[in-house]
Amino acid sequence: MRRRKLIALMLLAGLGIPGCATVHPWDRDLMAKPTMRFVPLPHEMAVDDHIYFSKEGSTGGMDAAGGGCGCN
Amino acid sequence: MRVQLAPSPASSIRQRLGAAACLLLAGSVPAAAQTSVAPGWQLETTGLFYGEQARARVVEPMARLARQFANGRALSLGLAVDAITGASPTGGLPTGTVQTTTSASGQASTTTADAVPTHAFQDLRGAVDVGWVEPLGTLVSASTSAHYSQEKDYASLGGGLKTSVDLLGRLVTLTVGGGFNRDRVFPTGGTAMGLAPDSTPRLPGDNAKEVRTGLVGLSRVVSRRWLLGATGSQTRETGYLTDPYKVVSLVDPVTQLPVAQVNEERPSERTRDDVLGSSVYHFEQDIFYANYRYYWDDWGVRSHTLDMKVRHDLSSESWVQPHVRLYAQSPARFFVFGLTQGQPLPEFASADERLGPLRTATFGATYGFHVPGHRGEFTLRAEYMYQWLVGRPPTAIAPIPGTGGGDNVRRSIAAEDDGANGGGQHLGTNIGTLLIGYTVPF
Amino acid sequence: MGLEHLEGYFLGRFEAMASPCELLVDSDDERTARAALEAASAEALRIERKFSRYRADNIVHAINHSAGQPVDVDEELAGLLDYAATCHEISNGRFDITSGVLRRVWTFDGREHAPDPTAIAAALALVGWGRVTWRDRRITLPAGMEIDLGGLGKEYAVDRAAAQVAAATDAAFLANFGGDLFASGPRRGGQPWLVGVEDPATPGSGQKLRLELARGALATSGDARRYVMVGGRRLGHILDPRTGWPVAGAPRSVTVMADRCTEAGTLATLAILRGPDAARFLADQGVQHWVVE
Repeated sequence: MRRRKLIALMLLAGLGIPGCATVHPWDRDLMAKPTMRFVPLPHEMAVDDHIYFSKEGSTGGMDAAGGGCGCN
Repeated sequence: MRVQLAPSPASSIRQRLGAAACLLLAGSVPAAAQTSVAPGWQLETTGLFYGEQARARVVEPMARLARQFANGRALSLGLAVDAITGASPTGGLPTGTVQTTTSASGQASTTTADAVPTHAFQDLRGAVDVGWVEPLGTLVSASTSAHYSQEKDYASLGGGLKTSVDLLGRLVTLTVGGGFNRDRVFPTGGTAMGLAPDSTPRLPGDNAKEVRTGLVGLSRVVSRRWLLGATGSQTRETGYLTDPYKVVSLVDPVTQLPVAQVNEERPSERTRDDVLGSSVYHFEQDIFYANYRYYWDDWGVRSHTLDMKVRHDLSSESWVQPHVRLYAQSPARFFVFGLTQGQPLPEFASADERLGPLRTATFGATYGFHVPGHRGEFTLRAEYMYQWLVGRPPTAIAPIPGTGGGDNVRRSIAAEDDGANGGGQHLGTNIGTLLIGYTVPF
Repeated sequence: MGLEHLEGYFLGRFEAMASPCELLVDSDDERTARAALEAASAEALRIERKFSRYRADNIVHAINHSAGQPVDVDEELAGLLDYAATCHEISNGRFDITSGVLRRVWTFDGREHAPDPTAIAAALALVGWGRVTWRDRRITLPAGMEIDLGGLGKEYAVDRAAAQVAAATDAAFLANFGGDLFASGPRRGGQPWLVGVEDPATPGSGQKLRLELARGALATSGDARRYVMVGGRRLGHILDPRTGWPVAGAPRSVTVMADRCTEAGTLATLAILRGPDAARFLADQGVQHWVVE
């Protein structure tokens, strides 16, 4: 359990290291699109979170404050 | 004449100029001139139709109203109503004879020899949530949320807080958040006594459950086309975590058939951890989303989830987004298909398939379109899910003496076996969902 | 300020920095186009108000009338002054924002004028970035000297306005402020924008060149509209701060393409300041360019 937590932490830290290639302000055109985010359809994710929470044994990774229900 | 910004060897003057221009334009503009998102309202309505083969059916309409203010603040209000009917497995094992089950809600159902016993139920759930986003300066943003939901036997109240910070020239975003839930469980017919025979009288009163969550996330713009992110979270649950309607079968050691049932019992604490890696990559036209989650908790449940989507524009007015999700779970330490009668009872036991060796595969697609001249967007999603258990419950090996249908019984149970060497028994469920959505700004 | 709905896009127009400004938005949604136009024009007007030398109520006016006293500047003006200082160094003194006082000596109305050498010499005494103290966000101009950001202002405004529009909408757009333009990306369906480069010999009519621009900036420098005739010779309005005269042997028109309008405009100006070496200078820089002699 400890080792897994360490790996998890290293993974997170790895993302924070400044990369060798910088992204110029004028290269932000694609990133500005609303579809360029981790959850392109938030209403679908809310429904899915609820479905999989009630059908499986794991919890979602995205949100800290999800609602509760008597389904798991 | 088509002109491309083809890469060419830049001289030192051009490089210096480019760098100087970059520095100039990266500087911040006085706050008064900044507008981020256009202010306005947005209404989002969604309808979910969910159906499991011969089991539960859910119809859930939802609505969300959001208001974006000029200074970056935002308000969101959501409402949902869940109507659930159907049947859910009790956790008991299929028997060689026709079996009747009564559930705590007073419903009775009769199952045939090889079917998993289920109990019927009906419930209506209402949920409301509210959220607020407040920018704190140009690089930091905070959001809070609160929610309440109520159903026949469960009530949940909770809230959360999240902060995001932009770092390294807005290339990296750090998010830290936490949530707290206080739930009440008041099962229909009272609370069952754990590991006591299911006919034992139930206790009245409420049971409390508290859930605390913390998360840390980091996302990074890797290149013009690629966004990467990782999140780690931990949740601690304390209180009443048992499913009040589920039972575990006691199996006779000689006949290997279930002869009695006891209520299930789970620990009163659970610590859950997960790490999630996400990627969004923009190809020439399409966008590819992938995420992988590894989950583990102190009940022994571990799972891998792989979720992939592709967003493909069909025209400027419509798009399609196919989706695949694969899930594999290894069981809780105290998960059993059944207990042997006569053996001392363990401290905890559950036959709930959701804590078992579970696999889920989901395939589907979303179709979205704007009606030309109209501002709203419709989305239509159809998905197929197949869920099954891997593993071998202690089923009948020998025919039941005295019953003519012994061979039939053995065959009907063994029919779900995977081959002569006793591979996995697949108690598969087919599930279909249809999600209709409509979003309109105004 | 006007907004017109054309075939598949919106055309917004407004006046800023003494130039006709246009914003083309690739969208069929009027609300989006209006929000974009408002963002672009607000930013252009903000920059004009803040940096124009023709106004009596801004920081530039305060600096130009500081009578040798130091003046503190904010982050944005500091950025522009740093940029101007870099350009001055890169161009070996040819690019100089203190050369504005020379405009009193020359009249670029297209007619024949005889220059006054005494006046030029007197003006030259007040020209030279090297005489300016620029340090720690504080600028000290010797009395009588002036800074003129006109050579940077329009291109900088295009880039800043483009950033504001990009924040207001994700539709593709093209901002064109009096010939200095920036395209944020191709139109829906992947089509580029169509840009005409004016023929300097016949300003206002016909196009010498038609380009398809998907993404990037174009800036044009030249003498098409502002020039003076001296001894029958046509001289453009870009002055060489080392001589006090318009640059000799400069091309009629230089158009440069770069990632950003500020960069494109500066390269075009630097090219003209090289006079007859303009085309070779741009070729050495490896940028797309069109030079009309």
